[in-house]
Amino acid sequence: MSAEYRKRVKRWDRIATWVITGGGMAVIAAVILILLLIVRVAVPLFESQEARKFWGSSNPSTIEPDTVLAVGMDDYLETGVLLDRAGRFTFVNFADDSTIGEIVLEPPYESPSEILAAIPHHGLGYSLLWANGAASFARVVFSRDHHVDRPPTTAFRVDTLAEFAPPEDGLIPIRTVTRYHDGRATRADLLHDNRIRVTQEVEETDLFGNVSRDSHVSVLDPAVGGEIADIFVDTEGLALFAGTKDGYLMRWAMRRVGTIELTDSLLAFENNRAISTLSMVFGDVSLAVGDEQGGMTVWFPVRPDYDPQRRVLSHIHTLKSHRGPVTAISPSQRTKSLLSLGADGELHMDHMTSNKHLFGLRPESPIRKAALSSRANGIIGLDDAGRLNVWAIEGGYPEATWGTLFGKVWYENYDEPAFVWQSTGATNAFEPKTSLVPLVFGSFKGTLYAMLYAIPLALFGAIYTSQFTTARFRGVIKPAVEVMAALPSVVIGFLIALWLAPIVEVHIMPFAVSLAVFPACFLIFIVLWQPFRNLKLARHIERGYEFIAFIPIMLLAGVAAYFIGHFVEDMLFAGDFHRWLFEDAGRNYDQRNCIIIAFGLGFAVIPIIFSITEDSLSNVPQRLTAASMALGATRWQTVWRVVLPSASPCIFAAIMIGFGRAVGETMIVLMATGNTPLMEWSIFTGMRTLSANIAVEIPEAPVGGTLYRILFLSAVLLFILTSIVNTAAELVRQYLRKRYAQFQ
Amino acid sequence: MTQLVTSVIEDPIVRTRNLNLYYSGAQALFNISMDFPRNQVTALIGPSGCGKSTLLRCLNRMNDLIIGVTVDGSILLEDIELDDPDLDVVELRRQVGMVFQKSNPFPNTIFENVVYGLRIAGMNNREELRVTCERSLQQAGLWDEVKDRLHESALGLSGGQQQRLCIARAIAINPQVVLMDEPCSALDPRSTARIEDLIAELREQYTIVIVTHNMQQAARVSDYTGFLYEGVLIEFGLTKKIFTKPNEKQTEDYITGRFG
Ligand SMILES: Nc1ncnc2c1ncn2[C@@H]1O[C@H](COP(=O)(O)OP(=O)(O)OP(=O)(O)O)[C@@H](O)[C@H]1O
Ligand SMILES: [Mg+2]
Repeated sequence: MSAEYRKRVKRWDRIATWVITGGGMAVIAAVILILLLIVRVAVPLFESQEARKFWGSSNPSTIEPDTVLAVGMDDYLETGVLLDRAGRFTFVNFADDSTIGEIVLEPPYESPSEILAAIPHHGLGYSLLWANGAASFARVVFSRDHHVDRPPTTAFRVDTLAEFAPPEDGLIPIRTVTRYHDGRATRADLLHDNRIRVTQEVEETDLFGNVSRDSHVSVLDPAVGGEIADIFVDTEGLALFAGTKDGYLMRWAMRRVGTIELTDSLLAFENNRAISTLSMVFGDVSLAVGDEQGGMTVWFPVRPDYDPQRRVLSHIHTLKSHRGPVTAISPSQRTKSLLSLGADGELHMDHMTSNKHLFGLRPESPIRKAALSSRANGIIGLDDAGRLNVWAIEGGYPEATWGTLFGKVWYENYDEPAFVWQSTGATNAFEPKTSLVPLVFGSFKGTLYAMLYAIPLALFGAIYTSQFTTARFRGVIKPAVEVMAALPSVVIGFLIALWLAPIVEVHIMPFAVSLAVFPACFLIFIVLWQPFRNLKLARHIERGYEFIAFIPIMLLAGVAAYFIGHFVEDMLFAGDFHRWLFEDAGRNYDQRNCIIIAFGLGFAVIPIIFSITEDSLSNVPQRLTAASMALGATRWQTVWRVVLPSASPCIFAAIMIGFGRAVGETMIVLMATGNTPLMEWSIFTGMRTLSANIAVEIPEAPVGGTLYRILFLSAVLLFILTSIVNTAAELVRQYLRKRYAQFQ
Repeated sequence: MTQLVTSVIEDPIVRTRNLNLYYSGAQALFNISMDFPRNQVTALIGPSGCGKSTLLRCLNRMNDLIIGVTVDGSILLEDIELDDPDLDVVELRRQVGMVFQKSNPFPNTIFENVVYGLRIAGMNNREELRVTCERSLQQAGLWDEVKDRLHESALGLSGGQQQRLCIARAIAINPQVVLMDEPCSALDPRSTARIEDLIAELREQYTIVIVTHNMQQAARVSDYTGFLYEGVLIEFGLTKKIFTKPNEKQTEDYITGRFG
């Protein structure tokens, strides 16, 4: 070998080393990079929400703070509004700390211009009680005007939606809640004698266009519970709530005009803790209750164990307590967050679903009146000194906590805490349910059933092919199985979802029976075969082709299973297994269920496991099998004691690679599972896997939103799960390899 | 085809009569009639590819593992016909053990290697296994070297030790005949000498058939020698005779290294 040539060889050697090392490093770097990118999107989910002090009026306003009944703010955090006793709305511009306008309400029914009580509702709506007992519902409306030549400007007006005449009995209430919704005006008055007077007015237009007005007045006397501290009516005027100083909560249903039914009356707090204020969480399902000891609780109706027909108002969430009595609750109009104000002038922001305390605000001068902007992006507060304070709410994903992602959560309209994934609903007020547990469960359920089906088939197939057939036959079967792996998963998904699933649904019993019939026929055949095995004719069958004799037997078994199955169905299940399953066993049969998934995923996984296992079995050195046979071992003993242990590291790796493939497989599960995020082991129902969930929801998830980030988090979870499985597999494989090493 | 040699041996343990063997039609053994004397060492010599291993494998039907092998003629162990499809091959292989050219211990402990033949026969009594293991290793001259590491991997042994382990494994099931196919070809002279000594000792108890390419070895260890050439048994007789005064010219040429 010339020196020149030697040098060339060495150079190529070095280049090859570099290329291979570089390639390997690049792969590792790419994987880490991908993980980092995913994690980066998911991490902000756990950042806390903050309120940044944004503006404070420098000089105390000209308005006496005691005369201010309510405050509010627009969504651009540019304009604030104050309502005072004279029925005047004063609009303040934050940019230059100036009053930019005033609107004085025309008092209804010739009332003096004096408002006795105002209760804010839904941000900028106000229930107003006037001095003569008349009442109205007014709403401040901000509108944005866009101009070509200058920045947009904000215009404002006040709409009066409903007006109520002074009561005929002349009793002026302490406070009044008014609502106007869809032609129905509702007024609830808390009277000095601890009764509640409800006035309902409906406007109906008949077929001829005649408008008729119908008015009902009912007076409710709770009789128990002591002095009523606060009353509340939902937006549509369908439910009335009252809380008392003895700690009682009451609810009346007002679905039909003129009939008011007491549905709940219960002692909310054992120790008769006095209730101080009530409000409804966005969505009008849950009632937020503030009490004199600073407690903040959330209640909603739940079906109790003892009477599934009814729904009873129940204590669900407990939020962070205030130091003093809670004086006002202002729910967000976007999410299930609540802003609450304590008597000590401190503001709390809490999220109901996650029970998470988002932040507390405690300015030097205590806050007396506060409100959220309607997009819940800002808070305006009027302090003792008559100054306005504005905070911008920034960042954070209040509905996502470890608890809501991985724990049981008690959602609205649920009778108990549960793991639920349901990210979007029909209305804005929908409470997103984002537990990842059903998805992880689904991933494992699908994989488990698939592996249950795939592992035995692949392993026995591989053992048979590598140990009991001829090389020629092996040369045919192996590439054929490997072609299976090349089949695009969308094709598999398509076939099993649209072709196989309906067939299995109809022939479920024959299918179940075949699980027993096939092995039985197999065994019977083997027993019957024994007398013939030594016949001259039988000897001519080349070893490894015996299976050909099985083909007719298996066809026969299939036919037998078909008839036996339908016969069994007729006998045991009155000819309809699905109905029996549903009515007698109380279980559902989904067309796209675990049987289908086992077939589909199995189809994708079997070639992988088969191929690797077959290779590893065939690679067990012949000298080992020969040694075993020479010691008088039968073929099976040899396979069991020598071949399988020697190949076990690779077999294990094969199963784990198959497992990883099944967990991460998306297309097949997406098409064939039905994607219902259930949490039950039944083989007859579908599931939703982590991977399919990402595929289903990511197109709908607003970039940067909570759902978007949760989906990324679930990708991280998937990544972690597969790495754990792979690492564990690698450790076991190393161990096995050491134990059954073939070469030193 | 003429039948050449049949030296008459009294009370042979294995006899072949007119044995022909074909690999997928290609004949590899021609009309072999040969007697293997009891409790003696018989060496099979001949140039590469002449069919020594093939003949050896006939004696415990290892040829069954090769697809496409057909045999006619007869092979008798004591008076049992081996070329009988109804014969219990498992039992036969327990009677006729085999040691291969390359040592092939199982990837398992030394102990498990030795008792493998017992375990597959269904013996699980620990004490009995232990006793047999010790006896076999002692017979194979390996006991002193491995008695402290019985439960370590057999793959940690040297090549020569591994080969002796394989011998111990073969004799653990107490066969009548031990077949050895070039057992020393991969070993150094020292290990070879060890194994040759071992063969000399084992011959007390077992009938040994050994294939070797090493003429000195054949001369040293065997009592009888058979010379095969192109599938034909050219000459068979006492080793002393074959190596000193062979009847056939071919034998002489081969032994003296003029061809092969
Ligand atoms: N598995 C087989 N398939 C087909 N032909 C074979 C097979 N094994 C051996 N043969 C052929 O049979 C003949 C005898 O082979 P065998 O292995 O018995 O020779 P040998 O005397 O042991 O040679 P060596 O000294 O090199 O081991 C050779 O021509 C060989 O090519
Ligand atoms: Mg050979």
